Amino acid sequence: MATTAAPTFATHTEYAVGEGWRAWLGTTDHKKIGYLYFFTALFFLMFGGAEAEMIRWQLRAPNEHFLSAETYNQIFTMHGTTMIFLVVMPMSAAFFNLLIPLQIGARDVAFPRLNAFSYWVYLLGAIFISVPIFFGAAPNGGWFGYAPLTTMPYSPGLNIDFWALGLQILGISSLAAGFNFITTIINMRAPGMNLMRMPMFTWMAFVVQFLIVLAFPVITIAVVFLVFDRFFGTNFYEIAAGADPLLWQHLFWVFGHPEVYILVLPAFGLVSEVLPTFSRKPLFGYPVMVYSGILIGVLGFGVWAHHMFAVGMGPIADTVFGVTTMLIAIPTGVKIFNWIFTMWGGSIHFTTASMFAIGLVGMFTIGGISGIMHSSPPADLQQTDTYFIVAHFHYVLFGGSLMGLFAGIYYYFPKLTGHMLDERLGQWHFWLNLVGSNLAFFPMHFSGLLGMPRRIYTYDANQGWDGFNMMSTAGAIIVGVASAILAINILISRKRGAPAGNDPWGGGTLEWSIPSPPPVYNFVHIPRVTSRYPMWDLTSPQLTADVPHTRAGDKSVEVDVAGVDAGHAGPRPGGAPAGRSPAPVVAAARIPTAEELGIPIPYTTLKPFFTALGLTVMLSGLPFAHADMPGIEYTLIFAGACTLVGSLFWWVTSPLEPEVAHSEHTH
Amino acid sequence: MPFPSRPRRQVAAALAGAAVLAVPLLLAACDVKSYPNSTFLPHSEFGKAIDDLWNLLLQLGTLVFVFVEGLLVYTIIKYRRRPGAAPPRHVHGNTTLEILWTVIPAVILVFIAVPTVKTIFKTEARASADALQVEVYGHQWWWEFRYPQYGVTTANELYLPIGRKVNFALRTQDVLHSFWIPQLGGKRDLISNHTNYLWFTPDSTMSTSAWNGTCNEYCGASHANMRFRVFVVPPADFARWATHQASPAVFPVSTVAPPPPPAPAPAATPARRPAGRTASGAADAQPLVRPVANGALGAQAAADADAPTIVQGGSQAPDGDVFPRDSLRPNNIPTTPTPDGLTFTPGLVGDAGRGQKIYSISACIGCHTIKGNPSSVGITGPNLTHVGSRFTIAAGLYPNDTEHLRLWIKNAREMKDGVLMLTLGLNQIDPQTGIKVTAGGLTDQQIADIAAYLQALK
Amino acid sequence: MATTALPSIPTADVGHGYTTTGLPHRKVAIWAFIGSECMLFASLISTYLIYKGRSVKGPFPHEPWTDPSTGHVFKPILNIPVTSCSTFVLLMSSLAMVLALAAVENRDKPKVTLGDRILGSSRLWLFMTALLGTTFLGFQAFEFTSFVHEGLSIRTNLFGSSFFTLTGFHGAHVTAGVIWLLTMLAIDFKRGLGPKDALNVDIMALYWHFVDVVWIAIFTLVYLIR
Repeated sequence: MATTAAPTFATHTEYAVGEGWRAWLGTTDHKKIGYLYFFTALFFLMFGGAEAEMIRWQLRAPNEHFLSAETYNQIFTMHGTTMIFLVVMPMSAAFFNLLIPLQIGARDVAFPRLNAFSYWVYLLGAIFISVPIFFGAAPNGGWFGYAPLTTMPYSPGLNIDFWALGLQILGISSLAAGFNFITTIINMRAPGMNLMRMPMFTWMAFVVQFLIVLAFPVITIAVVFLVFDRFFGTNFYEIAAGADPLLWQHLFWVFGHPEVYILVLPAFGLVSEVLPTFSRKPLFGYPVMVYSGILIGVLGFGVWAHHMFAVGMGPIADTVFGVTTMLIAIPTGVKIFNWIFTMWGGSIHFTTASMFAIGLVGMFTIGGISGIMHSSPPADLQQTDTYFIVAHFHYVLFGGSLMGLFAGIYYYFPKLTGHMLDERLGQWHFWLNLVGSNLAFFPMHFSGLLGMPRRIYTYDANQGWDGFNMMSTAGAIIVGVASAILAINILISRKRGAPAGNDPWGGGTLEWSIPSPPPVYNFVHIPRVTSRYPMWDLTSPQLTADVPHTRAGDKSVEVDVAGVDAGHAGPRPGGAPAGRSPAPVVAAARIPTAEELGIPIPYTTLKPFFTALGLTVMLSGLPFAHADMPGIEYTLIFAGACTLVGSLFWWVTSPLEPEVAHSEHTH
Repeated sequence: MPFPSRPRRQVAAALAGAAVLAVPLLLAACDVKSYPNSTFLPHSEFGKAIDDLWNLLLQLGTLVFVFVEGLLVYTIIKYRRRPGAAPPRHVHGNTTLEILWTVIPAVILVFIAVPTVKTIFKTEARASADALQVEVYGHQWWWEFRYPQYGVTTANELYLPIGRKVNFALRTQDVLHSFWIPQLGGKRDLISNHTNYLWFTPDSTMSTSAWNGTCNEYCGASHANMRFRVFVVPPADFARWATHQASPAVFPVSTVAPPPPPAPAPAATPARRPAGRTASGAADAQPLVRPVANGALGAQAAADADAPTIVQGGSQAPDGDVFPRDSLRPNNIPTTPTPDGLTFTPGLVGDAGRGQKIYSISACIGCHTIKGNPSSVGITGPNLTHVGSRFTIAAGLYPNDTEHLRLWIKNAREMKDGVLMLTLGLNQIDPQTGIKVTAGGLTDQQIADIAAYLQALK
Repeated sequence: MATTALPSIPTADVGHGYTTTGLPHRKVAIWAFIGSECMLFASLISTYLIYKGRSVKGPFPHEPWTDPSTGHVFKPILNIPVTSCSTFVLLMSSLAMVLALAAVENRDKPKVTLGDRILGSSRLWLFMTALLGTTFLGFQAFEFTSFVHEGLSIRTNLFGSSFFTLTGFHGAHVTAGVIWLLTMLAIDFKRGLGPKDALNVDIMALYWHFVDVVWIAIFTLVYLIR
């Protein structure tokens, strides 16, 4: 993509009212919150990556003692917990925040203050669960925290307390964000954007929000039981009282398997945005992509026990869960083929973004195939809890989620910051990542099938695992270098990257119609949508002319789009006749402020932050009960509860934004 | 902004490279010498049933892999952006194609699902009643094996007869564990308040052989150190072994008193942690030697012949020697380095009789049972009745030789992370509590005596 | 592609309060929240049912139990007549909630008869709802203390843990609802609730009815089914 003209776009970084730290702490702007999510998740990516490097360094050869058993167990637990809850989910949340309102043509999310609350709870929860590692008290029961190992008799330390309470805090963040985005997507789509015109990323985000609000309550209850057992002496996982450890496993995986799709569907959505843009073709089989995403989400709730084929559920349950698991392969396979056929016949432009997207298609396929291999319960008995599984889910989560998120980062960074990421560094990042991750994760298939169990901090020599582990460690180091390049690229380009302009890639969806970074109000006028790729209707109407623009649903939004030619391409706002490129318009050098436009913007407010702070402080009092410091315990709980209730009251009783004279809204 | 738009042949090259790399690895995986815990070489009908399924999955998986990745690579090369090319036509879908790639995977899945379900019902059926019953109890972090039909209780070493179906009843005494012998079939978890079952028949064509087993469910600090050995022997040998194991501890007495040299075990100078890996070549070359020569035992027994509670056994250990030690492969011999600061006074000679006395009044008896020693009835730790006949100690972590056994008794908590067994050596520091053992701690001589006693329990 | 600015996307003339569905945001959000709460209570109820009959020692919900060590005989714990009363009270509170909402919505309609005035008093019905909710909580407090008195606490056995956690979670929801009701009542006394507040009352009512429905499920599955 050659830039021929000097950029004429004003680059501005002012998102919210106010300046400095208070503007960040009190922001309610979805873009700014997305920005915060993005950089926090990036930080934790490096944190979790460092943990991965330590794990691999320990396992580079047999009988190594770089880490003690205890330290290793804390680090592998935190690696999983960090990557899932502090990296992939919040990085996805960064994209939800940044993109959903822009893609559906809205000015913000439905509940801007709740959105800020979600972020602050996430940040404080992340700190709560991560800091103990510096005191040697990090969670050490695995990210899956199987009872009864996590109960008081077997884990008397504070480690599991931090894990259980941290998970509760992070769950609150995800749930609040889930309600918010569901409402946003259902209720804030621009006129004409019916569900079948929604950009695929928003669609996948929509599915993910349902998974979150339906799956997180289950883990909440499972962890509530654990917390009650640990603090109040209940019997939920108390073996002597007749408790069944499988209760935890069932509850955990009823959450845990949808969680896998919570992690991967946003990446699928991003790839479904990136591939059409860089192939210059619309997404192949859009309706099927939507249905397969929904189907994956629905089936995701019916397969949880495939994590438990070795627990002895009996042949009937094994059969049922084996078969439902195989069924999930069908919609997933459909997605893979639809992506390939999006590119088929296209004009594929290789940028870092599109290469990461293509990388996802290739890598996720490998993870999908190994997934089928352990959907068969008997075969899984030779695979489960070995490195084969580690290989599988790293192909799915690294090759899937992270590669997709990387594609999203390169694709949307310009929109977020107004600056392009450096492509040369991007290429280094991509290739090192591709080579490194395959070198790290492919040999794990072998070490697993050759008998190496998971979660072991050391292994004996002469077991035939040495070479594979050495390869994995080498690969991990390469991935580490790649990640460092990503971080450097982002830090450098954030301010110094080439100016992006509205639409550096020629994207088709609404977010590319507005400046980068978007003004605080996003859209001067709420757009009216008549197709899936409104931007392409403008830039290349001759190509979109025979596109079946879905018209169903226009009536329901009670907006007159009847003036638009039904059999023809998109609207011609500038009166440009079909077939002719619209006349270029020089962009305004200065972007008008919301005030000038008369658009009400939510107040900057610290209430969500203090509510989140109160919540976290309140819960962080609990571990002191086990540290025999009741004074600190009750002080923290009391102070936290007061802060929580006070700021919540203050929040609920204060208006969101200035009253608008012409407002028609009723709420 | 200059974007590279070179064709991505590298992708093809990388994939081809991966394939080229994968094939020899796969072939090599079938080499039992290099890959002793391979799941590709099953030695039971259970393992074979899984392997058949696996082969099907691997073939279909490879097919899908080659097809999808091939299509992907072809697509991105063929349809890469070329300068001056016209913008592509906007195609929105193709119903036929989309139905096709929904139906074809579904059909492939049917081919997987049918044999899967058959195998599930075959392998999860009840074992026949005449099967050898073995009760497996998981402990943090060791294995207890009981043979109710033979009255045998042992730890961390499992003996199975060739060609006879064995039915495992799996239970745990604490947290969850998982029982796995890769070459004899799939794994099964040990779940508190549940009994799980697993059965297989060691291949009748197999010769005497030893396999390694592991714990596969994360069970706390020393999850990695919860290993076991499986010795598959002909039925007659098994019967001999079981009869011997069922008998009380044998403490051979001999009047001959040859000079007592320290046992010439190969691990006389165990590898140290900083040294890292033990040279595997060395382990290859040296067969594992049983801890103590019988003659030496006799000497010690003679020196303290009044050991009253010992059941006087037959002339020479008859005994558990059913597994020829030259059948051990390098992977059966632990190479774990001993902790850096943990040393033992050189030149000490243990006296089994004295050791028996010390043992019988020490903390040992609180946790361990030795059938034939009425004071030793603890059940928290492994049953030590025939501990001298075992090849390894500490759940497969160390070879059962004089050096390692002495160090183990001296400071088990240094030897194995998180272990419950106390640090016993005088002036040793317990790494879990940081407390130095003073009063009641065992001197090196006492430890050497106890070690001699334990080694004598063939 | 040159970085030329694009013609602007067609615009729709919608006001600031526009929503796609026409429903207010909070109404959509409360439904999402209720969906989420369904999974929360489903997990709690499933746990109770899974652990039913698995306690290694009593007391038990429906069967007497003799403590083998002391010989003490424990009666079946659940007191179904009392709980039936509290269930009825909670059901009636839902009715009061319906009337309260109707009263708020119809605030501006003329009230002629005494019946009109009674039915049209949002303060009365909000108060009644809160009162009935509090009565339910009183029943629960009575139930909990008498169970503890009879020898069943949250630590006693699996039944105790799962029962108290399940009903305790429900009680916490009712408590939150009562606080919400009282806040609303305070606002009503302060400035009067009118049709513009109907949405807020409506959302509260949805929550209240949901909590009520959950109790029906708990009452059926825990108390009635043996």
